[in-house]
Amino acid sequence: MFRVAVGHSNDPDSDSAIEEVLEQCLISLAGEVPAAGILFAAIDFEHSLILQEINRAFPGIELIGCTSDAEMSSVLEFEEDSLALMLFCSDEVEIRAGIGRGLSQDAVTATKQAVEQAQAKSSLKSHQLCLTTPESLTADGVSIINGLKLELGEKFPILGGLACDSWKFHQSYQFFQTEVLSDSVPILLFSGKLLFSYGVANGWVPIGRKAVVTSSEQNILYEIDNQPALNFYDDYFAGLTPSPEYPLAILDPQTNEFYTRAPYNCDRESKSIYYLAQIPEQAVVQIAQASREDILAAAKTSITKALNSYPGTQPQAALFFSCLARHQLLGTRTKEEYDLAQDSLSEAVQSCGFYTNGEISPLQNNTPSRLHHDTFVTLLLGVG
Amino acid sequence: MEAQKYEQKIKELEKTNRILQKKLERSQQNQILLEESNDKKESLLKKVITELGESKLVLEQRSQALQDLLQNLQAMQAQLIESEKMSALGVMVAGVAHEINNPIGFIYGNLNHVSEYAEDLFKLLECYQKSCSNPISELEPEIEKIELDFIKEDFPKLLNSMKIGAERIKQIILSLRNFSRLDEAEIKDVDIHDGLDSTLMILQNQFKTQSNSPEIQIIKEYNKLPRIECYAGQLNQVFMNIIANAIDALEKVPNPQIKISTESQGNFAIIIISDNGMGINPEVQKKIFNPFFTTKPVGKGTGLGLSTSYQIIVDKHQGKLECHSNPEFGTEFLISIPLKYRRELGKASEREEGEEGEE
Repeated sequence: MFRVAVGHSNDPDSDSAIEEVLEQCLISLAGEVPAAGILFAAIDFEHSLILQEINRAFPGIELIGCTSDAEMSSVLEFEEDSLALMLFCSDEVEIRAGIGRGLSQDAVTATKQAVEQAQAKSSLKSHQLCLTTPESLTADGVSIINGLKLELGEKFPILGGLACDSWKFHQSYQFFQTEVLSDSVPILLFSGKLLFSYGVANGWVPIGRKAVVTSSEQNILYEIDNQPALNFYDDYFAGLTPSPEYPLAILDPQTNEFYTRAPYNCDRESKSIYYLAQIPEQAVVQIAQASREDILAAAKTSITKALNSYPGTQPQAALFFSCLARHQLLGTRTKEEYDLAQDSLSEAVQSCGFYTNGEISPLQNNTPSRLHHDTFVTLLLGVG
Repeated sequence: MEAQKYEQKIKELEKTNRILQKKLERSQQNQILLEESNDKKESLLKKVITELGESKLVLEQRSQALQDLLQNLQAMQAQLIESEKMSALGVMVAGVAHEINNPIGFIYGNLNHVSEYAEDLFKLLECYQKSCSNPISELEPEIEKIELDFIKEDFPKLLNSMKIGAERIKQIILSLRNFSRLDEAEIKDVDIHDGLDSTLMILQNQFKTQSNSPEIQIIKEYNKLPRIECYAGQLNQVFMNIIANAIDALEKVPNPQIKISTESQGNFAIIIISDNGMGINPEVQKKIFNPFFTTKPVGKGTGLGLSTSYQIIVDKHQGKLECHSNPEFGTEFLISIPLKYRRELGKASEREEGEEGEE
């Protein structure tokens, strides 16, 4: 048995919203008790109150989650400033939560704490999947994933999205049980007879001239082609502040394949740019951009990839992690991204997702998980 | 019951109100972000379009540079081929001239002696005839058989004709040596008329190419020219290329003529070689100095003659080579070269060639 329940409310009032969400979940659960859950909440909610209410309804639930830019679910589809909760009940799949704190101090230790805590609670030694919703603003996403891979194995499937704060890039929160945290990495570790598949697609294309990163440190880019990094951006954007919808494509000089890194702020004095993940020195880079059609086509590709590689007959749940830059560029058409994904799934599939500061997923089966920007990640879950 | 209904309704309205307020707030925030995003896209695209324009320009310049380079290479190749050809021809001509020069010297040098000996022998024979009035009977039929009287009369003529022939061979050898100029320094004061005459001598056998067509008439209008400082061998190549083309243009022309006129104008010598052939159409005229351009059938022309001539006159001598053509009057090539070789310009031109070669 693997039952999934989803609750989703767009009521800005925290009390009313969580009441509505729990009501929907209880109806859907039909008396079953959830073992674990994942919560996506807009930044303006009273998160502590919400977590208390969930714990009151389902005492001891293994809960993680984070603040989000926008939310989506099979209940309300796409919504901004809403609250979405997905709950899991199963006697075949064991799900345990763990939390790692102090990412900015030591990402390796923090991720180790999280994994060890989840493993300690697990009765099974072999684990199948890790879901995570870590901090994005105080720590580098790549370091977080590398830390998790150190504990779980290089090719262990790790999926999820980085917490965000509705384009403010000031303060994001992570949820663990009843705690509202920052600078932390919450995880859900799935073990047992879980079947899953995933797909990831981007839609951005490099444009403009190629250049080389000549000075960077972690997620701060100082120089491109030996000139202040901001000059490179200002040249293209006439002095407007760098933002995630116009990321840097990091090119592989051999294959011309690329991944993107999204900027979120800059320092006009030092002419440096802040990114949501580290930028490697000597990388060949180009500005990247996307049209709305390209973005929607990529969402379709992501869900198709996941469906084609699902090992069972029918998934029961779908989780979506989409970049906030996609939300920004799609505007009123953001709903179409969710519609495209949901249209490919049967009505019985419960879905939930959020717009992130960075998506985590392997590119292909049996390859290491990576941090992406500007992508749409689909994760399908089931037992049959 | 009614109150409960109203309370429920109020709750729903309050919720709707909260949602709408939040959506309005978000909508305003989104609008600002969207406008900024649009500004960025506009700026990005403008910049990318400018970059594309610039890179198009760079590509065009590169393409032009490559085209120029190709043309230079073709010209250089043409020059190399032609100079190799002419050098080989020159070596051969000089070799032939040298080899023939010695034997013809023996022949020409001994002809006078032969003439004297023959005269002496005829005198001696006459003495014998006078002193021996009754020769033996066998002599009479033999004298008649060899036609001794005719021999006496014809032998001096025959020797004279041999002398004229040998002199002509000597003249041809001189022309060949003059044409090849292998035994002379590259830049030298020469009489252009000698070069023209040598070239005409070498091409003489082509002036009557077909048995049923009339012989080409050569009209020379040489005016007084000082000796000209030039690459004489190369100038002869130019004359040969132009005159050979004129000969080709005069096939099937009823009264074929090639006119060569020379004159001095200021510091320049002007040589005009014209024919009364069919002329060259304007499209072809535009291309005649391009390397490898030819209107001749495959195997007959290389398309290098005029391009090399142009290079010799214009680049090497800082002169002019012009082609004027009209279907009614034929074609005229005007060569204008400085009387004194401009050493500085010539050196600069040679240096440039060297530098290009090093690149």
